[in-house]
Amino acid sequence: MAQLTRKDLTGFLARQGILVAFALFMIGFALANQRFLDVDNVFGVIRSSAILGIMALGVTFVVIGGNLDLSVGSMMSFSTIVVLDLHDKLGPTLAIPAMFALTMGLGAFIGFLVGYLKLNSLIVTLGMLSAIHGLTLTWSGGKNMDIADKEGTWFSVFGQGSVAGIPVPILMFAGLAVVLSLLLTKTPFGRKVYAVGGNGTAATFSGVPRARVVFQTYLISSFCVAMAGLMQASRSLGSQNTVGQGMELEVLAAVILGGASLLGGSGTIFKTVIGVLILGFIQNGLLLVGLEFYVQYVVTWVIIILAVWLDIAAKRGRLWSPIA
Amino acid sequence: MNFSTKMALACTTALLGTAAAAETMTIGITQNNVGVDSYQTTYEKAFIAAAAANPNVETVVLDAGGDVARQIAQMEDLIQQEVDAIIIWPTNGEAVIPAVRKAHQADIPVVVTNSNIAEQGFDFVKSFSGPDNITQGARSAEIMCDKFKEMGIEDEAQIVQISGQPGYTTAIERAKGFEDRLPEVCPNVTLMETQPGDWNREKSQQVMEAFLVKYDDIDGVYAGDDNMGVGALNAAKAAGRDGIIFVGATNFAVGYEAMAAGDYWGSIYQSPVDDAEAALQTAIDILEGKELPFLNYFDTPKITQDNMGEFDKPVF
Repeated sequence: MAQLTRKDLTGFLARQGILVAFALFMIGFALANQRFLDVDNVFGVIRSSAILGIMALGVTFVVIGGNLDLSVGSMMSFSTIVVLDLHDKLGPTLAIPAMFALTMGLGAFIGFLVGYLKLNSLIVTLGMLSAIHGLTLTWSGGKNMDIADKEGTWFSVFGQGSVAGIPVPILMFAGLAVVLSLLLTKTPFGRKVYAVGGNGTAATFSGVPRARVVFQTYLISSFCVAMAGLMQASRSLGSQNTVGQGMELEVLAAVILGGASLLGGSGTIFKTVIGVLILGFIQNGLLLVGLEFYVQYVVTWVIIILAVWLDIAAKRGRLWSPIA
Repeated sequence: MNFSTKMALACTTALLGTAAAAETMTIGITQNNVGVDSYQTTYEKAFIAAAAANPNVETVVLDAGGDVARQIAQMEDLIQQEVDAIIIWPTNGEAVIPAVRKAHQADIPVVVTNSNIAEQGFDFVKSFSGPDNITQGARSAEIMCDKFKEMGIEDEAQIVQISGQPGYTTAIERAKGFEDRLPEVCPNVTLMETQPGDWNREKSQQVMEAFLVKYDDIDGVYAGDDNMGVGALNAAKAAGRDGIIFVGATNFAVGYEAMAAGDYWGSIYQSPVDDAEAALQTAIDILEGKELPFLNYFDTPKITQDNMGEFDKPVF
């Protein structure tokens, strides 16, 4: 009986190592600053993380499908600037679908290059990172984009509104996470994504339309980016051209932290969410503790490495192993 | 028309021609990264406009796109073209020094604009034209202190600072100017904490959210520029914390609007147009042989809700 319980525990640890690591950090920060677990702070952090989080949800699909997407940060800047600009020109009702169409057009283009033309996703999306940045600057002429009438628009609801006391960004993040998680685990499409990322050749020979599946993962990714851009634009009703700069690496860090393999074929939405929350709470926790920023950079890195190590160690069942 | 008049006309034309030719100067500029932000975009437009307004000046306007290697190549191009003077907005304060030295060796005077290069390159530079960031920081401290005195809380006020990107001279100098000046004018105001906002509105908003959780009583926020200041303001608004005095620097349109709305107290008015015109004028003055101070600052006045009517809304 005792044997069985222990086995269960080990099994749980092996599957949810990252969750345990997350809980440990939360306890640590909570001890260091009692304000850390205040409802306001927790909501604040999740709301701030929602933008990064929604992008990470989309990138999870791309990564499970065996590819990378480094263009999401730059694409988010694009969608933010575009929706802000169109807001004053077309009104919010038209601006939002127009921005989604343009952003997903970029996603479709990347999906076409990577999926159908079989170009290396690292090269394609790294190139698109610069190209989209150029597009954004061309669109805005380099200027900050601001909504003229900040008080009188309902557009602010996506970033600043709340329903029943819960901020809208959190609801959108959670809602999208549930929908995408169902899509990934409960539909044939989801299984195809795992198949294509796990072993593309085998998937092809099993009749899985590999190119189309990869194409669709980029479409999902760009849809998520458009959502993130919408939220970003709505949150501050104005933006710099570089608002999403560098976020691609944070997004990737969150996805990898959640345990998705860079080689494709593994990862879950739930764990990506945990990865996002870990990054968000580390950043907030370190600010609350009040460390100097240069110490924060180092500590952030140490915590990420610790989390990954705990995750791996839990899978292995020991802290160190001579063979991988 | 008789012969002599023709002659006279011809001579005058020739004279005018030579006089104009002698005075025409070609000034090359290599900028940091036009188009990446509104300030730099406006700067370039103002520079071109100012040069066009002066018939004696011809310009070669280049942009390094934030790339050090490209800027060095552009410096070499300008030296090759034998321009009369070079203005450089350094992409990197250290890496461009050899290229600046090359221009100096070719007897082409170099003016550094907006952000200075590192000190070991000063020997190769005729003049620096730009804002005085230390004074800007000091003036922000004065704006904040004056407001606290007006409110009668100069003996107990507690403030936080959101600084620019770590490692940037502008960020470091503004913070230093502020931190040095504040205890001189308001010795009892406490600066509780400083964290970087990386010149980024969103990042600054996150930093401010954490500050608001951490400190129950915040009377003032000093931000290294208005973009970050408005990010902090958004955080305070979202948290329903009223009565915080926000002071920034480099007055942006968003900051100006927030001041007009009464949410944001003050800033430092730094116009990219003044910046560009000062750089061009510095180069012209050098070519005309005028004596200039090495650090040729242009004035960046205080702007608050009280005197904002005297200033145009910034275009960026």
